[in-house]
Amino acid sequence: MKNIETRHWTFLGLFVCIGLVMLIDVKLDIPVSAQTRKMYDFIDTLPAGSVLMVSFDHEASSLPEIRPIGLAILRHTFSKGHRLIGVALLAEGTVIGYRLMLKTAAEYGREYGKDYVYLGFKPQYIAAILSMGESIPRTFPRDYLGRPYEQFALLREVDNYDDITAVISITDGSLTTHWMEYGGARYGVRVLSGMTAAMVTTFDPYVASGQMHSLVAGLRGAAEYERLINREGGGERGMLAQTTAHLYVIGLVLLGNVIYFRSRRKRKPG
Amino acid sequence: MSDPATIIAGLLTLAILSFLYRDNPIYKMAESLLIGVSIGYTLVIVWTSTLMDLLFKPLFSDGQYALVLPLVLGLLMFGRFLAKTSSLSRIPIAVMIGSGAGVAIPVMLEARTLKQMSATVTPLITESGFPDVSAIVVIVGVLTTLSYFYFSREHKGALGTSAKIGTYFLMIFFGATFGYTVMSRMSTFIGRMEFLMTEFLHLGG
Amino acid sequence: MDRKVALGVCFIFGLVMFAQYFSQHPAARSVNQAILEYWQIIFAFTLLVGVVSVFKNNVVQIRRGQDRSYRLITLAGLVAMPFLALIWGIKADTPFMWTFENIQAPMQSTVFALLAFFVASASFRGFRARSVPAAILLLSALIILLSRSAVGTFIFPQMTEVADWIRHYPSMSARRAILIGIGLGSLTTSMRVILGIERTWLGGGK
Repeated sequence: MKNIETRHWTFLGLFVCIGLVMLIDVKLDIPVSAQTRKMYDFIDTLPAGSVLMVSFDHEASSLPEIRPIGLAILRHTFSKGHRLIGVALLAEGTVIGYRLMLKTAAEYGREYGKDYVYLGFKPQYIAAILSMGESIPRTFPRDYLGRPYEQFALLREVDNYDDITAVISITDGSLTTHWMEYGGARYGVRVLSGMTAAMVTTFDPYVASGQMHSLVAGLRGAAEYERLINREGGGERGMLAQTTAHLYVIGLVLLGNVIYFRSRRKRKPG
Repeated sequence: MSDPATIIAGLLTLAILSFLYRDNPIYKMAESLLIGVSIGYTLVIVWTSTLMDLLFKPLFSDGQYALVLPLVLGLLMFGRFLAKTSSLSRIPIAVMIGSGAGVAIPVMLEARTLKQMSATVTPLITESGFPDVSAIVVIVGVLTTLSYFYFSREHKGALGTSAKIGTYFLMIFFGATFGYTVMSRMSTFIGRMEFLMTEFLHLGG
Repeated sequence: MDRKVALGVCFIFGLVMFAQYFSQHPAARSVNQAILEYWQIIFAFTLLVGVVSVFKNNVVQIRRGQDRSYRLITLAGLVAMPFLALIWGIKADTPFMWTFENIQAPMQSTVFALLAFFVASASFRGFRARSVPAAILLLSALIILLSRSAVGTFIFPQMTEVADWIRHYPSMSARRAILIGIGLGSLTTSMRVILGIERTWLGGGK
């Protein structure tokens, strides 16, 4: 017991709070925010058959948060009959993106090569983004499994960004910045993004300036999107636990400050 | 009973979580495995997606002999392993650094600086003649925060006041970022807890 | 001599890539595409160098007897993945994919999940309203946290609108100023690198 420190009690408290709450099956009423609705409306109103590029620009570390976002967006795009080209600009996103596209495409009976293709990964994301602006087949001469670009009906219509309606960057870091700055500024690519909540304040100036069309952020954003497409994918399930976690942290902050100010008052003379 | 994949994933998850108590051999073993597997994974992906796709197949199967140049430049990187040849690795690095710097100049100017500046300059008075408080807040925030980062003069007088206001805007930004970061980290933990409770331990709603 | 050659190469490639931005001529676009391909290929080799370096370091440490069992596990993982990919490929439902989904991804996301605990602990031990700026930071964080939970609107009905306003205006303006500063700094640094004034990337030695 002498090895148990204060931090261990805060850890245990978090574990217990989340653990207990997860035993309860309660769905919270999550209002849909304007920013999530903006992305939903964009994808929803595109003509069927529009070609979109989805870029899996994230790592496995953020999978619990990013997967529900990716699932919701892919399900929406496939349900509307849009065609998808999947790429990854971070190595770990490669396999995750491949799996996610196969899974969601199968749910909607989409055919590989005609409705979607997964091109895989290319390193040095700035070079990859700029290179695709000139020629996507030269950047990706083969798909993820090594089959030639020309083999696929969907890809025969696509040479560069001019043939793509928008790029949806699923990210847990700042890679989407490069999509906007190199792809958007140079080639006029329209950029949408699904991102972890931690990155939201980083991209707010880009949304405000119009360089980013719209964004969906965090598990909450995923829950809102799931509500719009009326399909569960892990976002809504976590909302009660998320609320509990927030209240726990708020409680810790307030408790810490109460203890601090009380001890400060005791130390002051008189 | 869970399948072997879930059991392995669950045990490894618990091994990593054991770090919360303290650093221990089980955590260290899991961490070592993670490092090895991650590096091996990256090696496979880079080899198949780039070296095979962009270099070896075009060079040796399609006869694109111009690719000998990047092959040689890439091999020069291995010069780092010997003291005599280590300086040769500067050349491919120079190619990458120079290319990156060259493409960055117009992009940084246009996309990061000018576009953001122009987005800041918006009407401060609405059509009805009332001040647009939000637009005023934005322009004040941008200017005062920029003044905070101006270190060529001492922060005294008007500059000092401006920098102080800029500090308050920065604190609002850091506070908002902290709030969203907490949200994000908790989401990741909630995802792992959901896996442990539903798939590994078969508990929960 | 080597440093001068490297600086010259940096200057040439920097100038070419900067100039091609302003040209739509097919020759310029062709050169642009070629250099971008070279860049990616060389970058792939740097990753290879990193892998070889890790392998070498681990072998050296094993020979010295330092943390032998842990380093053997690292090497085993490092070798296993290419072996699995070579024999069974990288498609869905291959051992390579299985290893990523059931060993790498769970551990990687759990390492990240540890941060939730440290954030909670730091909130209790370090987050103090010691001064006016700290109090503003605290208040901003609390408003955001409350607005993102389901109880925020019970405490204050306009909590979500207030939080959104804070995010889209004062918070955004500070971030925008940081971006402008970074943009100007990156611009000047890039110019200094191309002109050979900034030489830290050359490293030490002759």
